[in-house]
Formats: sequence, C-alpha cells, structure tokens
Amino acid sequence: MGSQQGKWREDQVLIICPGSQTTMAQLGCSELTPPTHRIPTRMFKDEETNEYTPYHTYKRKKPNATVDGKADDQWEFVEDRDSIEGAVYPLQGGRIANMAAFLAFLDHVHSLLTTTYHNTPIMLMASPQWTRPDCEAIARYVFEKTKTPALCLLNSAVAAQYGLKWPTLTVVDIGFEKVDVTCIHEYLIVGHKDLGYPNPDREISGGEVFTQKLLSLLKDKKFTYDMAEQLKKSSLCEVLPYAPDLPELMELPTDDITPAVGQIINPASSSAEGVKVVEPPKPATAFGGETENGIAEGKENDEGVLDVANIVTSGNTREFLAKKEKEKAEKAKAKKQSKAQEAESAAKPARLPNSKRKVNVFHYEEVVHEDVQVPISNGAPKPEAIAATNGNASISEGATNNQGAKPEGAPEAGGDATESAVNVTNTERRTKRVRRDIEIGLERFLFADRGEINRITDTIYRTIQAIDETYKRTGCWDNIVFVGNGARLRGLKDNIIQTLNARHLISPSTATIFTSELPSNMATPSGTGSQTPTGSFTGQIPTTSSVNPLLQAATTASLGVPGATQAPGSTAGDAFGSGHHSHGQTPMSIKQAPMPTYLAEWTKNGFEEAMFLGSLVAARLAYCIHNLDAGTQEAQRTMSLNRVDYNEHGPKLIHIHSMMGDS
Amino acid sequence: MSSQHPLPNTQQPSDVYGGDEVSALVLDAGYCHTRAGFAGEDVPKSVLPSFYGSLKTGDGDAATYRDIFGDECLIPRADFEVKNYMSRAESIVEDWDAATKMWEHVLIKRLQPEKPTPPSKNGLNDPVPDGEGDVAMDDVEDQEKPLAESPLLMTEAPWNTGKAREKVIEIAMESWGCPAFWLSRTPVLAAFAAGKASALVIDVGGANTSVTAIHDGMVLKRSIQKSPVGGLWLSGQIRSMWDNNDPKIDIVPSYMVENKTPVDAGAPAQAKLRKFPYEISQSFRTYEEERLVTEFKESVVEVWRGPGRYSNPGNEDIVRSQPGRVFEMPNGSNQMWREQRFRVSEGMWDETAALPAAESITKAQTIPELIKAAVNAVDVDLRPNLLGNIVITGGTSLLNGFGDRLNNELMAMYPGMKIKIHAPGLTTERRFSAWLGGSILASLGTFHQMWISRKEYEENGAGIVEKRCK
Repeated sequence: MGSQQGKWREDQVLIICPGSQTTMAQLGCSELTPPTHRIPTRMFKDEETNEYTPYHTYKRKKPNATVDGKADDQWEFVEDRDSIEGAVYPLQGGRIANMAAFLAFLDHVHSLLTTTYHNTPIMLMASPQWTRPDCEAIARYVFEKTKTPALCLLNSAVAAQYGLKWPTLTVVDIGFEKVDVTCIHEYLIVGHKDLGYPNPDREISGGEVFTQKLLSLLKDKKFTYDMAEQLKKSSLCEVLPYAPDLPELMELPTDDITPAVGQIINPASSSAEGVKVVEPPKPATAFGGETENGIAEGKENDEGVLDVANIVTSGNTREFLAKKEKEKAEKAKAKKQSKAQEAESAAKPARLPNSKRKVNVFHYEEVVHEDVQVPISNGAPKPEAIAATNGNASISEGATNNQGAKPEGAPEAGGDATESAVNVTNTERRTKRVRRDIEIGLERFLFADRGEINRITDTIYRTIQAIDETYKRTGCWDNIVFVGNGARLRGLKDNIIQTLNARHLISPSTATIFTSELPSNMATPSGTGSQTPTGSFTGQIPTTSSVNPLLQAATTASLGVPGATQAPGSTAGDAFGSGHHSHGQTPMSIKQAPMPTYLAEWTKNGFEEAMFLGSLVAARLAYCIHNLDAGTQEAQRTMSLNRVDYNEHGPKLIHIHSMMGDS
Repeated sequence: MSSQHPLPNTQQPSDVYGGDEVSALVLDAGYCHTRAGFAGEDVPKSVLPSFYGSLKTGDGDAATYRDIFGDECLIPRADFEVKNYMSRAESIVEDWDAATKMWEHVLIKRLQPEKPTPPSKNGLNDPVPDGEGDVAMDDVEDQEKPLAESPLLMTEAPWNTGKAREKVIEIAMESWGCPAFWLSRTPVLAAFAAGKASALVIDVGGANTSVTAIHDGMVLKRSIQKSPVGGLWLSGQIRSMWDNNDPKIDIVPSYMVENKTPVDAGAPAQAKLRKFPYEISQSFRTYEEERLVTEFKESVVEVWRGPGRYSNPGNEDIVRSQPGRVFEMPNGSNQMWREQRFRVSEGMWDETAALPAAESITKAQTIPELIKAAVNAVDVDLRPNLLGNIVITGGTSLLNGFGDRLNNELMAMYPGMKIKIHAPGLTTERRFSAWLGGSILASLGTFHQMWISRKEYEENGAGIVEKRCK
C-alpha cells in the first residue's frame, strides 16, 4: 500500500471537521462544496452497557401493554433524535474532554456516511488544543479498531489557510467556547495563542459569551437560552461599528419609533395552535445579503439549487424530491404571508436599517414536542422506520439550510418528522412550531460585550507581536481572517478590525516617515535592493493633514474592501516584509485578507467554514494526487499516515506523518 | 487488520513501537519564561510567562487567592496581582507552591490529554462538610499519576542549590509519578544545542547574564560568573532614559489605551484612556509596562558595534549624524531616537556609561569583565579551545549589534587568539537554546541509560540527584 500512496479516488475520502457543537463531514472531495452533513457533536451514555450512543434513548411504556399482560413487553426503548437530555459533549472549547465519547462519535460519523472501511482514508481536522497523546490515541483507535487505510490529522488553522490559499495569514477562529489565534507566515505556523482553556477554571471565550450576555440582558423579559441563541443569530443582533469617541464605543440609535412598532406586536400568536412555519429563522449565512428589516432576499435562489451530492448520500432520492417540492410550496406561501406582514410594518415612519432602530421585533420560533395518542391504524409500531426516515430528514434538512452551528435541539427535524411519521405509528411525538413576536430594545446592540471583544483584540495583538522575527509580523497584520461560526455574528469582524486600528495602528507620522525607514536599511543588508522608502507605503500615505489618516484607515481599509487592499503574497507588498528586517514597530497597517471569489457556493455559505474547504483541498493533496516527482511524493507521504507505516512505527508516527503544523 | 497487510518477516511487530522514542518531556524554567515541550521537537510546545496572576476573592481574613497561568489571562482584572515564582536575583525557584502549580499547568494541563475527573474529586460525591474539613484521602494512591508514562528532563541554573534540586526530583517522582528524571544545567544544554561539548557559554537572559565554561559536557564550577546585567536591567536603563528625557516620557502601557489619534513627533499624546471600575494593581501595571519596554528594545535599542567603546571621542557624533528611529508609544506620542538608543545599552559593556538607575553596576559586572573572569578561572590549556567555541544564547543577546560588539571586545581582550562565536540566527534557537539542548539530549537513544529511574530514586531517596546529575 505504501507504494500506492495517493491512489485513492476522490469520492472515497472521508472528511471530518469536528467542532465543539457541530461536526461537518462529507464523503468525497471531488467537488469543493460546503459540507453535506452537519452533525451535532454529542453522544449519550447508555447506562446499562456503558457505551456511547449517538441519540438519547429512553424507556417508554407501550400503549398496548395492558393487553399483553407480560411485564417484559411493557416497555420499549425509543430513540429521541432531538433530545439533549444527558448529552455528553466530547469536545469542549476545542479540547477533547472525553476521549471515549469522541472516538464513539467518530465511529458514528463514519457509519453515517459510509459503510466501507478498507478503502476510505480519513481526513480529520484537529484543533490546536489536541495534545500529542490525544493524537496518538486517535491514530491507535483508527488503525487498530477500524480497517481505515490512512489517516491525516490537519491543524484547523492550516485547514483554514488551505481554504483561503494565502501563504501568510493570521487565522482568528472564533468558536463556541474558544478563540484560537494562529499566525502563519509563508506556510509555517509562527505563533499561536488561545482563549477559553481551563486555567484551572474555564473562562470561556467566543460565541457563547455573547449569547450569555444577551441572555443576562434579557433576563427580565423571561428569555430562555434558546431564545437568546436564536435572537443572536437573527439579523436583529448586531455588533455596531466601533465609535472611538462615544462613551459606549458604539453609536446606539436614539430615535423613538415605538408607537409604530406596537402595532405588529401580536401576543396572541404565541398561543396560536400549530401556527405553520411562516419563515424559518434566517440562516446566519444570509448576513451578507440585504438586511433591512431582517428579511434577506435571495432565499429563492437557494431553493432553486438542489444539492445533488446531498440527495445521493441520503439515499432515497424520490422521497427527498417530493419533500423538497412540498417545502417549496410551503415557503412560497410563507413568503406571501411575510410579505403582507412586511407591508404592514412598512407603514412605519421609514424603512430604517436595524442598526438605526431603537427597538425591533424578534420573531421567535419554538419547537414544542408532545406525545400524542394516535388511533392505531395498521398493526404493530415500527419505531425503526421512524428512526430511518427521521434521520434522513434531519440530515438533509441541515445540509440544505446550510446553517452554521445549531443551537441545542435544533428544530431541523421537527416539522418533517411529523409529516413522514404520521401514519406509521400509534404513539408519536408531535412537533409543532410556535411563533412569538417579541420586541427587543437596545439589548440587541449592547450584548456586544466590550470585555470579550477586548480579550479577542488583545489576544490577536499579543499573538502577532510575539512572533519572534519582527519582519514576519507585518504580513500577519495585513492578512487577518476570521473563521469559525462565532465570527458570523453581524459586525463582529469589522468591529474587531476597527478596534485594532484605533488602538494599535502605528501612524505613519508625516514628519518622521522617511527618517524612520532609512536607517533600518543600513543596519541589515536588504535582499530586495529596494532602498527607496516610497514603495513601502503604497496604501497609506496620509494625503492631507486635514484628513486624519487613522480615521481614514479605520473607515476604509478596515472594512475589508476587497480589491482596495493589496492581495497578500503578491510581490509588490513584499518590499515591506522582507526589505526591512530590522525595522521594528508594527502594525503599520491592519487589514483583513480578501476572500477568494471563485467559489460561488462558498461565497454564499460564508468563509467562516473555510476550514472545511481547506480540508477538502488538503484531502485531495494528501490522497488523490498522482504521478508526482520523487521529492514531492515523499512530501505527500508525510502528509498522512498509512497503515503500513503505522504497523511499522506505531501511533507516534502520527506526529511526523500529519499536517499538524509542527515538526 | 494485520492480516490485510502482513508485515515482512524481517520485522517483528512489537508492542513497544520505536524503542528509542519515549515521549519524554523537557521543562526549562527561567525568570521571564517557562518553556515546556516534548523531546525531539525543535520548539517548545508551550511557552508561558513565569509571571502568573493571583486573583483575590473575598476580603480581609476570608480572602482566598486563585492562581491563573498563561499570557492570555494576564488582562486587567479586579483584585488582581501579578507575581513570579522565580527569584529575580538568582533565577531559581522561590515559591515552590506556585512553581509546582505552574509546572503542572504547562506540563500536564497543556500537554497531556484531559483525564476524566475521578468520582472522588468531581464534587458530586463530596461528603457534607462537617466542620473538620478532612476529606478521606485513601484513594489518592490508587489514582494514576499524571506523568506516569513520561520521563522528564528539567533544566537548572548552574548555581542551583542542592536543596532545590532534591525538591525538584521529589515533585517529579512523588507528585507526578515520572518513570525517569534528569536534571541538567542550562549552559551545558545551550552548548549542546550548538553541537558542542566544550564551549564558553554567554547567556544574556532576562534577569541575569552568566558566563560559564563547559568542558566535555561538564560545567567548570570555578568559571561560573553571573551578573544582573540582563534584559530587566536594560529595561531599568530605558526607564531611566525616558524619565530624564525632555519632555519626560510617561509610560502608558497599551492596556490603558482605548484608542489614540496620531500626533506629530514630540507632540503631546491624544489618546482616550480606558476606564476600569476597579483598581489596577501596581504589579500588573509593571508587567504591562515591561511589554512596552520589550517592544522598544526590539525596534529601537541597538548596541554600539565598536570598535572601541561608545564613549570614545567621536563615536557619538557619528551616530548623531545618522538618521534615528521613531518609536510610537501606545498612546500615540512618538519621538525620534538617535544617539540615545546606543547609549542606553552601553552600560552592559562599560559601567561608566550606565545611566543612573535603581540598580547600579560595578565594573566586574559588565559583560567583558565577566568573560575575562570566567576565562581566567579556567586552566590555561583549555582557554584556546573555549575562545574558539563561544556560544551566545538568551533573548537579550538578540539586541541589534550585540554579536559584533562582543566580537570586537573579545578581539581587543585576547589579541592573537582565535575567536569564534556561535550565535544561532534563528530567534527561537537563541531564546530557547537550553530547552532545545534538552530536547536533543532527551531524545537520544543513549541517554536512556543515564536517566535516574524511579527504582533508583526509591532506593536512594532524593539525594540521588546530587550524586548522579553533576
């Protein structure tokens, strides 16, 4: 097998990107698409066997038990796919908190996507928090308990880099309960810091902090965690731009337009029975779209595209298509309804953007379960059948929605379950969606906790400034990317960049710019020979003294206008990076790296999940590239660990034969 | 699985894979940073400031303190002090409780997988406190020790005390359950990282500068020279320079600045400061100021390259005629530095040039004198070999021009001798050379006969470390 390295087909590779909340997975890397599967990263411990199962199982009394009379038959075990009761989360803040559960979870993901082992190499994304013994334990499990032919562990920051293709990057990964900042210079990891590690108590950082803050602000309104989470993901919650001069550091809306809003508050709807889904909670990915009044256009475009890979993997094509049709019809109806409602609300003074409104209305949707007795129609219950259809529905739903990290008990499977299971069983769990409208005031801006943003900006600053070779810092400052679904929070990225600019940017002071550049070249010979200082400041020459260059930088450069910024890695910018090795102070500019534009599906999905894209690319490189020259082939061999090498050298080889970014 | 890809007959599958590859850990504790990682790697996996935070909860007698470790937790907080577990003067452990906790954080928490909390400790089964607060400790012995599978190599300053060495092996063996242990001196390891068994090691670190002669992997005890002229001393010089500057420079560390507006050189700063609803302790502020001073050292301070001293007539004029460098403070104020950036570091070489600061130094404490004293304490026959193998290490040696100046000084001191300086170009190698040497040493197959094994320790007690690690 060793000689045949790289002889796998692209559709055989299994890609798994575990996250603390949601794991992205896909079989095959031939198409660079967003993941087909999103699986909640949780397991349930079976009390009797002490093993981990993927779903919550509970005992329920059989309805017809009295008829039989036998004690044994009175109970049945039911899998509840939505319940999170007793869930074990194997990953916490990026760390593997429970290895046994994590391995069982990997197994679950594997069996969900494919049944074959011997020709399915695995690409597994790893958090930087995974320790060496962790990686060894995973390698040992994969090779000794399964027949997997090859395993590649890929550092998540490196994965993000493969997805975004820039050689020099600062990857800021804002997750559920952790933030990782990794600096990569010319494909080498040169710095890393993380937040949210137990120390010994955990001070979490990341998306969850904002949810908690929102929850605490809305305690008086009887908000639950689910409500806060949904509100945070809605377009109502925004991190307003950094306003350096204001006491709150953001410009809060002051106009009072409450009377108009009052009209559409509809407390009655909270009790309305089985109100049909009007509009599913807007996917976080639509953030880029039109945001006015929280209604994103472009929804229909979504629907037109059928994710073929997804249909194929889920197996039952016909059923899927039928369901899809139904969904479409439903949505069209919903669309009409919401249009009407919008018209109603448009009667308000003006169609102000969310950020200018003091209050806005949040449509909260809740999934309510109840066990309902249904008259027995045709014989014995078939819990398995339910499970099967249910499972498919849940997976495909999740995939088509393209939604980011779901809250607990994500309502995906809910509606479909009801439909598909109606005439199969006698006792069933009915699910319906209840919608409520809640008026939210300034809380939806104030939840952007300055303390947390400061922690993130400080960590970025310290990580980059701690890079040993000062000349490497410039590139890292110029190419900051935000990944992780925590970064989907509206306005967060821009606010972080604005904060960094306002706080840390070294101004190219007009009086001193030339003198400060020249002598540094005298000290060390510069390889490029570019001694003229003018070339160094392509983007940032302060034009007139009337324009505050810092302000200019904060308002233009920081907004990440693609095209306006210099493409990283282009040689034009390198005069700065390599020419002035001894010039110390950074950052002279702080920019977000531009995102690739050639992958339409990813542009729609958002590059917050660039790690998955990168994992696909890396999987191709590690497993599917053929006919390489000897040197490259050897390099490819060390990208992943195959079974022959494992048998010879043992699990420790995973540290050398992997893409963990260290030696 | 093995039936699928049978191993060739020549290779016996064994349970002990890669016999010479144990997952040894290497721990190098200094005054400024504590570095830990796995043997065989070329950079330490976790590098933490040796400064740690102490959070106070409660007031008066009821106050309890919680220690937190790592750079990311050193942020403005209420009731927060920044401490260090090492002694500034000696670079050896001062606070053993904190040291143990810090080491456990870097070695176990950050490098070992999470262990499920045993039922006895997860708080669910704690007996109701009955006033005595004495929870049964019976099952402590049964638990697996955190490092039961990892041999540990630790570094120590050459002047470490016997008592401290015994304490260290006790912690490693008793608390962590290491199967094997070794203690090695930092200059030996630095020489090792440079590929030399005999060398004159000049270690210009954070708290201290030391010069040590190494012969055949052994420290020549009489040669050990140590002085406070290190990074922190240089920080003192910079502070003194800022104090006496015109206009006086206020040190405003970056945590205090909310945002700033650019101003012209020499103009007063226009910055909006952050407000904290609690008091920021002096120790935290000092720690944060040190970050700023470090940045100044990185980008502005330079060593006069020679030949001759900076104070020799004419030199200052040369420097003054050259363009200077601008440094911008976190609050936006900025200033050009010309001759001062050379003068501030001159005290390391010439005690008369040192700026008046809290720590004044004597002639004997300057770097040239340390070298002279170290070389003079060595047998005449060994001197040429040492001067031909000079190893520079320590973060402060990364100052611009340091190597050139050292070379010039040595040429002037030992005319006619062959002088060769080994100064790694990679910054990481210079900063972590002792750790790196330890990493190389501990990954060598032959080193495995050298470790102090658990059995040896159990037979001989902590005193074994004095006998074996010479």
